[in-house]
Amino acid sequence: MRRALGICVAATLAILIASAGAPRPAAADGVVRSEVDARRIGIDDQLQLTITVEASDLPDQVAPPPLTNLRVVGGPGVSTQMSWVNGRASQLRSWTYVLQPTAVGNAEVGIVAVQLRTGETSAPAIPIEVVAGSVKPAEPQRGSSPFDEDPFGSFFGRRRGPEPKLFVEAQPSRTSLYVGEPLLLTYYLYTQASVSGLQLAQAPQYAGFWAEDLTPPGRSNGEPATVEGVSYRRFPVMRKLLFPTKAGRLTIPPATLSIGVASQSPFDNGAAVQRSTKPVTVEVKPVPEEPGSSGAVGRFKATASLDRPSLAFGEAATLRFKVEGSGNLKWVDRGPELTVPGARVYPPQVKSDLQAEPTGITGSRTWEYVVVPQTAGTLEIPRLEFEYFDPAAGRVARSATAPLTLRVEGGTPASAAPPPLAGPGPAARGGPLPLRADLEQGSRGAALPGSAVGFIAAGVLALHGLMWGGGRLARLGRRGRGRAAAPRSVRGAIGDLQRVGRDGMSKEKAAGLIEKTIHSVFGSLDGDESERARAVRDLLDEVHAVRYAPQLGDYSEKLRELAARAGDVIRRWA
Amino acid sequence: MRRSRAAEGRRGARLTRATACAVAALAWLAVAASAHAKPGPQRFRDAGDLARAGDYPRAIALYDSLAASGTESASLYWNWAQVAAARGATGEALWALLRARELDPSDRAVRRDIDRLREAANLDRAEIAPEPLAAVARAARWFRLDLIAVLMLAISLGAHAVYRWRPSAARLARVAWASLAIGLGVAIVPVAGSLARPTGAVVRRGAPLLDAASPTAGPVGTLREGEVVPILETSGDYVRIEDSSGARGWALAGDVRPVTAPARRAS
Repeated sequence: MRRALGICVAATLAILIASAGAPRPAAADGVVRSEVDARRIGIDDQLQLTITVEASDLPDQVAPPPLTNLRVVGGPGVSTQMSWVNGRASQLRSWTYVLQPTAVGNAEVGIVAVQLRTGETSAPAIPIEVVAGSVKPAEPQRGSSPFDEDPFGSFFGRRRGPEPKLFVEAQPSRTSLYVGEPLLLTYYLYTQASVSGLQLAQAPQYAGFWAEDLTPPGRSNGEPATVEGVSYRRFPVMRKLLFPTKAGRLTIPPATLSIGVASQSPFDNGAAVQRSTKPVTVEVKPVPEEPGSSGAVGRFKATASLDRPSLAFGEAATLRFKVEGSGNLKWVDRGPELTVPGARVYPPQVKSDLQAEPTGITGSRTWEYVVVPQTAGTLEIPRLEFEYFDPAAGRVARSATAPLTLRVEGGTPASAAPPPLAGPGPAARGGPLPLRADLEQGSRGAALPGSAVGFIAAGVLALHGLMWGGGRLARLGRRGRGRAAAPRSVRGAIGDLQRVGRDGMSKEKAAGLIEKTIHSVFGSLDGDESERARAVRDLLDEVHAVRYAPQLGDYSEKLRELAARAGDVIRRWA
Repeated sequence: MRRSRAAEGRRGARLTRATACAVAALAWLAVAASAHAKPGPQRFRDAGDLARAGDYPRAIALYDSLAASGTESASLYWNWAQVAAARGATGEALWALLRARELDPSDRAVRRDIDRLREAANLDRAEIAPEPLAAVARAARWFRLDLIAVLMLAISLGAHAVYRWRPSAARLARVAWASLAIGLGVAIVPVAGSLARPTGAVVRRGAPLLDAASPTAGPVGTLREGEVVPILETSGDYVRIEDSSGARGWALAGDVRPVTAPARRAS
């Protein structure tokens, strides 16, 4: 028995340790819940359906789920809440529908599917039982816990304890500032009790301000604070970076937070109290209006750079005008007007690398201009100015870049006189025209007409044909003159000559073969006194001499020599 | 005897002086004539000065006369296009740029401006390129395929001739065959390009498409400014064209300026 108990305890401990050590699901960003206030209702009752989405990027709306035996009679009511639980902030949005059953029997709230940035998330369907009449209980006054009420409180004359001392406060970083200057608004919770949860019950509207969310402060143990002689612990719960957009006295309205107070006794289930901040009024001073002002407020530094110092004519360069600093740079869209004499400048692309910090929005904003030279030579990118209001100095300041040069190689040199202006085209932009200075007549040379190329190709083909066919014809003509026999191929004749002297061939037969082969190749040479004819006749004389000479010795060597000579003659003269 | 020699010498000197005077007078006349008729580059610069001064009509007239005299170049049409665009004549500017591209297909600034003007005129890319073979002809001119083809054909001919003279050099035969094949292959491109129909660009906004080449002809449609159309034939002051929708008709030759080759005469 003890052994079984030990095993149970060990298993329970193991499960607890495993569950504590397991990584927390990353569902905090992308949770969808579908909840109803009752699973069994009467036909006369109404059902409240609440769809809750908890994510960092909340959708504006959620499609209602398919309903079976139910119809929507109210809603959706939308509420957005920012909650603060155990030092971790999250935001959620709820859509509440009021549903009415249409008949007794089974009903169902279908699957709720929500498309979030991280993907589609869904909540399962909920079956509902609909019965006749009304079965829904009345709303309880307090929680359903039997320990909500102190059962002995009235018996012993005990009263509920005093409400816990806690309040919230919105604290601005300053109360006087310029338009566009950042204002850090921190919401603090002052408490003497242990707080189990915190929700923004009513989000404040920051009329007259641009509001920028700051990363919620990390888990904090708070700090001691004394207010009107009472000690509290103070916790920062929310921070906003506000940028006034107009001058005058601006009031930040109260924010209401719902605070969960932890139980203070065994019979106390805790409570939720609501506290509101006091309105905050700030004095906003105007910034001087100057023509060409960028509207930037803060401290900035402007730089300019080219992606290449030189380029070939016809290519494009990129000019980056970068403004770095701290202030309201996020809302500065307009870059400086850029005009490069001798080049066309296209409207810039804007890129930002900004972070919201308690001191303001810091980082950089870059305007990238594409510059297309219209002429060769050295182009000068003029100095570019960024004008902003410096609240510390209380005056308009300027940050200017150094002039840059861009070398353009090749292409058409421009006239030295008034240089062409940049822009999308002369007709559209006005100003001096990007005219070329040199006529450059015939710089590329005239091209041959296609028909001329065709004729040339045909002529060349004909010449090739003539050369090829002419050689063949001449050879045929040479062979044809006075030849009775059909022409034979040189290769065949050589093959015949190689048979001379083989297989015990007699000298007469071998000489006859040589003679026949020569005749078959050259035909009759009567009347021909050319070198070729003489060579053939000399050879034939020697062949005859061997053929008709008496058999006084071995003629095989002589015959091989004659066959070789006959081959040479054929190769040379045939 | 001595006297007659002296008289002959005086006559010779007089003849020499007269000849010198005549030569000097002719030279002066030639210089004066050349000074009166300014050379093309000078007139080109004058037109540029007029354009910069804002006298666009005279600048265009000067460019027109230069082109009519045969002094054509991509720079001439480029400037013409800039001036026409400054006047708001998008069609004429586009035509001038297309002419510039015909003369120098490698000019990237011209190609870029054609795209810009085409977009400004809300024309599709196909509406300024109705003849695909014209692009082939431009490519042939751009890469000088005509010269390459002729060169290769000449090499093949030479190699073949040498081979005939010295049959032992068998390598020359291969050279002849290879260069002949390359030359014929390359020659196909300019030959194919020459088969392209001539095209023209509509330079007038609202130019009518007429049902006949006659002053009494009725309009059957309106041409889009800047659109490039194939010129099917010409008849007097009229050209027969086909617009991008496939409609055929006649237009005034002044409204449709030739981009590629001159139009063929009506048979």
